[in-house]
Amino acid sequence: MTITLYDFELSGNCYKLRLLMSILKLRYNIVPVDFYPDRQHKADWFLRLNPFGQLPVLKDDDLILSDSGAILAYLAKKYDESGQWFPNDPAVTAEVLRWHAVADDITSTASAARLALGFFYDFDIEKAQKGAHRIFRLMDEHLWFGEREGRDWLCSPDHPTTADIACFPYVMLSEEGGISRQDYPALRRWTDRVRRIPGFMVMSGIFPAGRAAEES
Amino acid sequence: MTLSLSDPTWYPIASSDDLPFRHVYQGQLLGRELAVWRADDGNVNVWENRCLHRGVRLSIGINEGGELKCQYHGWRYANRSAGCTYIPAHPADAPARRIQNRTYPVREAYGLIWSAANDEQAFRPFAGAEGHDWFALRPMPVNAAPEDVLAALAGLAPDDQPADLLPGLAVRFGGTWYFVQPVDAGRAVIRGLLREQPADAVATLRHYNETLSKLRDRLERAAARKPAPEPLQPTFEKLSADLATMPDIAIPRGNTITVVVRRKWTSADGVIGFELAARNGHLPTFQPGAHIDLHLPNGMTRQYSITNGPGELMSYIIGVKQESASKGGSKVLVETVREGDLLSISEPRNNFPLRRDAVRTVLIAGGIGITPLLSMARFLDKSALPYELHYFTRAGEQVAFRGDLEALHGKVILHTGLPRAEIGTTIASALGQWSMAQHVYVCGPGPMLETVRDTATAQGWPEESIHFEYFRNDKVIDNSSAFDVELARSAMTLHVPSGKTIMEVMRDAGLTVPSSCEQGACGTCLTTVIEGEVDHQDVYLNRSEKASNTCMMTCVSRAKSARLVLDI
Repeated sequence: MTITLYDFELSGNCYKLRLLMSILKLRYNIVPVDFYPDRQHKADWFLRLNPFGQLPVLKDDDLILSDSGAILAYLAKKYDESGQWFPNDPAVTAEVLRWHAVADDITSTASAARLALGFFYDFDIEKAQKGAHRIFRLMDEHLWFGEREGRDWLCSPDHPTTADIACFPYVMLSEEGGISRQDYPALRRWTDRVRRIPGFMVMSGIFPAGRAAEES
Repeated sequence: MTLSLSDPTWYPIASSDDLPFRHVYQGQLLGRELAVWRADDGNVNVWENRCLHRGVRLSIGINEGGELKCQYHGWRYANRSAGCTYIPAHPADAPARRIQNRTYPVREAYGLIWSAANDEQAFRPFAGAEGHDWFALRPMPVNAAPEDVLAALAGLAPDDQPADLLPGLAVRFGGTWYFVQPVDAGRAVIRGLLREQPADAVATLRHYNETLSKLRDRLERAAARKPAPEPLQPTFEKLSADLATMPDIAIPRGNTITVVVRRKWTSADGVIGFELAARNGHLPTFQPGAHIDLHLPNGMTRQYSITNGPGELMSYIIGVKQESASKGGSKVLVETVREGDLLSISEPRNNFPLRRDAVRTVLIAGGIGITPLLSMARFLDKSALPYELHYFTRAGEQVAFRGDLEALHGKVILHTGLPRAEIGTTIASALGQWSMAQHVYVCGPGPMLETVRDTATAQGWPEESIHFEYFRNDKVIDNSSAFDVELARSAMTLHVPSGKTIMEVMRDAGLTVPSSCEQGACGTCLTTVIEGEVDHQDVYLNRSEKASNTCMMTCVSRAKSARLVLDI
């Protein structure tokens, strides 16, 4: 098997795949795609890989896949022998997919604000920021009650799933879009937990958390 | 009502549950952002949310248990004092003691963390606080003016049970207390407390959460129709120029601190432990390897290394060797000082700083020399940095601080009762061949220091990778010169003849000069030089400090020029 990731270093959606592949200890090649400023994701050669003109794209031997959430599910189902990252249980699968959809909403709000502020995209910044705050509020409430009910992650299993990977990057990068997480303490604590998953890796703007070792 | 930046009222700023193990919470009170973190000893720190170095938020930093590490350039600050304990860009230096972040008063009570913009008011429990098992609700941030939030909360009270408005933006009705945290002019957090634990905690939390969410939505719709209030504009104090640059050397300021002997115990055969506690609050920041001067009842001053780990500032623990009574110092301490006695100590000084950028750190202790190395091991331990601690004693009963050593997670190797010849080979294999970024720290008797230095050098360890602290100056002092000293502050000029030290001449003239070892090893008599060329003969100052010609030890060093001007 040869996995190739068509990647932009500063993309949170590409980072989702780097993160899961790091956790699953998968080896892969990277083809850098200059999303900014060169807009190579709209170049002919790239559109032949993904007509939607979006990063990331992943090639596994001859199979070409796009959409970060779909690729997360593919990698987990194919390469995660533990079966924990994308569980087979129908109810849990539905839960995971529900949060994959939230992850897309986070992309269209928090990530859009970041693109507007950092990459000069012509988006409605205020609308994007408000949208992100609305989602973060719901996530904070969900995670706060989770802590009371013994649930550390977005979905009900007692371990993280691709839902956590999918939602994590643009939550962590929200301040680059002018979206503070000060009002979301449970969301902030969840980002600590994600950053303590064995095999976690960083990207520009996403820092490591302290260890939670020697708890006594 | 308008909010004031200087409002001294205590407000809740977080729930106790918001501060789990090794987390850094981001808060705000009256326009000032806060980094809030609980150390492993349970203490809660409320600090200004910016690193003194480049202003980056400390709330994205790393809680290392006893220190908070800034994410940007790795400056570390100590639990309780917020004093800087390490600067990675100056790995071989101890940061100046006065580098200290802004802290705010803090109290943890009734399931909440309380703080205030200044310490003008002592913390007082709210009326009716005592005697109940308080239950904290889910905090509810609201984008509305705090006074509007308070009014709306009062409106939640049923008609037959009107709300009591309490001091400090609080309201009560029935068994429910609501506190409004004034985050900023247009932002607040509702922090509710129930007077007793409910039967079904989660159902109760969900019920109140729903009520408060609706209240929040209503308040935010109303706030959106009004012009947004101007946010508070806190001013950030600028750093002084001497803080913004690394000092060449820290001149001791001669301040002493009174401590209580809280505990005195036999730590091992021949080693007495002393716990020296602050009388109120905490003791000053120290770095691993630091020592204090202990002013003894008989007028003598002796140096003892601090054995504590990071952020342990409520007391310093030192170890005193029982029979080292050569000049009567330790003898007085061991024989006459009792628990409950008051002693005077200096602020901590560090001539033995620990680098935290090594790929391998070897700590070698002989006998009582364990004390600074125990502190170093504890710091490395908390940061999960690798180290090997070799501790040589003549017999197993002489192993001091055994329980503390057993609590370490790193490699601790006890070498007891080795014959002299074997000590050398053991040190040689403990050191191994040097490679990049390896450092060795040694503290112990003179011959052991020499063995480690010689062996390390023979095995390729460069001078700057071998760290030790002199407790004795073995150089032959050349006291043949004769010169004049002008004491700038005392308006006196004295002649120093050959055969006499500057210190002796000053004392003959009636001046009080602090000293301890009087052989150029301890640093007690460090003096600022204003003019003249110094003939350094001490082992306390390093090469660059000597070359700076700005300070000297008056107990052994002399003048190359005919005249010296000292800041005395």
